[in-house]
Amino acid sequence: MNQLLWKKIGLRLATLVGILFTLTILLFVLEEISGFDPAAVKVGANASPEAIQAERERMGLNDPILVRYVRYIGGVVQGDLGTSYRTVHAITDDIAMYLPASIEIVGFAFVLAVLGASFFAISSQLRWPGTSLVRGAMFVAYTTPGFLLALFGILLFYRTWKVFPASGRISDPDALNGPTGFFTIDALLAGRPDLFADVVSHLVLPGIALAAIPAVAIGRVLRSSLSQTITSDYIRTAQMKGLSEWRVLTRHVVRNSLPATLSMLGLQVGFMFSGLIVVEKVFSYPGIGLYMANALGVADFPAISGGTLVLGTIYVVSNTVVDFLQSAADPRVELA
Amino acid sequence: MTAVAVAPRSGWASSVLRLRAGDSLVSSWAAVGLFFLLTVFALAARAIAPFDAVQPTGGPRLGIMVQGHILGTDQVGRDLLSRILLGLQTSWLTALLIVAIGLFIGMVIGTTAGTFGGWVDTLLMRVTDMFLSLPSTLVAVAVAASLGPSLVNTVIAISIVWWPYYARIIRGEIRSWAARPHVEAARMAGVSWPRIMVKHLIPGVIPTAIVTASLDVGAVVLTLASLSFLGLGQPAPAPELGADTAKSLVELLSSWWIPVLPGVAVMILSLTANLAGDGIRKIFQAKG
Repeated sequence: MNQLLWKKIGLRLATLVGILFTLTILLFVLEEISGFDPAAVKVGANASPEAIQAERERMGLNDPILVRYVRYIGGVVQGDLGTSYRTVHAITDDIAMYLPASIEIVGFAFVLAVLGASFFAISSQLRWPGTSLVRGAMFVAYTTPGFLLALFGILLFYRTWKVFPASGRISDPDALNGPTGFFTIDALLAGRPDLFADVVSHLVLPGIALAAIPAVAIGRVLRSSLSQTITSDYIRTAQMKGLSEWRVLTRHVVRNSLPATLSMLGLQVGFMFSGLIVVEKVFSYPGIGLYMANALGVADFPAISGGTLVLGTIYVVSNTVVDFLQSAADPRVELA
Repeated sequence: MTAVAVAPRSGWASSVLRLRAGDSLVSSWAAVGLFFLLTVFALAARAIAPFDAVQPTGGPRLGIMVQGHILGTDQVGRDLLSRILLGLQTSWLTALLIVAIGLFIGMVIGTTAGTFGGWVDTLLMRVTDMFLSLPSTLVAVAVAASLGPSLVNTVIAISIVWWPYYARIIRGEIRSWAARPHVEAARMAGVSWPRIMVKHLIPGVIPTAIVTASLDVGAVVLTLASLSFLGLGQPAPAPELGADTAKSLVELLSSWWIPVLPGVAVMILSLTANLAGDGIRKIFQAKG
């Protein structure tokens, strides 16, 4: 760890803070534009304009915009995202309740996407029979809207074959009261493999719907960087000097194919977080996506804004982590 | 995604020759043809639609080919084919419009940054990078939600998150063109900056811009459908592909075609756009 590296890491972290700062400004401005009035909500639908005005004054909504932004950002830093108009709870509490479900489904979809991408890349690299069929299927999957894929999944695997459930997170919502909120972990901690299987079966269909497009996008990058790496001179050198196939594969081929794939991976995690709203709505899967979809239905802008801030932060942070990983895999990659 | 093949520089004649030689460009031109066909189809949707798309014209949930309704009717008895055709019109033309707006803004910003360099470049590209680092669909959803559901607002919302990508690519192209001898020569000859920009830089960027944009139409179609699905497009009862699926989700297990078919229409649009984008890329590559 030399000083230069620390400086680079510092710079990259500063960029991260800058981006998050921009996101808060954007969301604050959007909340202004939306015309959502927390004071009017607070005093109720039958209140007189004078009462609303008095409440606005009391809540400080008539203060200069800069003062209000500072107050907003102060709240955000302390974990206060305001109150949801729909649920009448603190948005932070709502999100804390729904976040584990969303992380669970994105994590599951991420694993599916990586497996699918590897299968796609390796099968076309090794010229397995039926590769063109796989390619065609991947192309179609890439152009299918997530909600349509979800509907096909429900029709086939739920209605026709009855193998996977089509809605919710677990068959019996009261079965787990778990310490972590991650049902897979809670089921294992409770020593209930049956519940674990039940939770996983609920993850399958929404997971596939979320993972399809990222799998193709990652697979394409992986395939092209694999084929570029394999035909390069240093691979021939490595083979000529008598390294075992396995060692050539792990130390040279995979390692040199990683950086491009990693950056695609980071982008696709963001794509999954965006797709979350649609997919969770189709499957009534109780995560942040469904929370935001419901908020959209009633123009509950504070909840939408809070959800966007949390998902956006996860996205930006995970891309920063990817940048660090990329730089670790390939020191030539510049940070920041 | 694949590496750009280095084709010998040649004019349109050689791509026609390739066509005759039975090269894969046949399918590329076919895909481009499909793209234009779809556009014509979308423009003529109102004339093709057999029924009124907004008023019920039959019993609810009629099956496929029942009582003259080719694709059946939806949960309130509106002709599904007519709704899909008009929804397709909205989605396709809106997607093209969004790409055009994104391309225009990206062109202006990218060209300005690339031509002037220095602090102008640094400032514009910082802003662009900021936008690029945010999750675009999520931001589009937030923007559309704050502006309120309408088609114009959806266009604004997606355009806001769509231009930075073009700006980045065009700026890079402009910079590489600006370094070429003929631009240097023009500068030496005392040609004014606006003239260099219009005469020597922008024409060089246009192929890249067209290829990038055409590869992108499919993604815009899907984003648009997602926003519509979330209720952020035109308010009911206007025909909207995503929204029509979302509103008929409860019908899935009994009358699957009502929610599925509008989604299939989205898929056809996105598939055509992706095929045409690939085709245009190959044609430009062959042209060199």
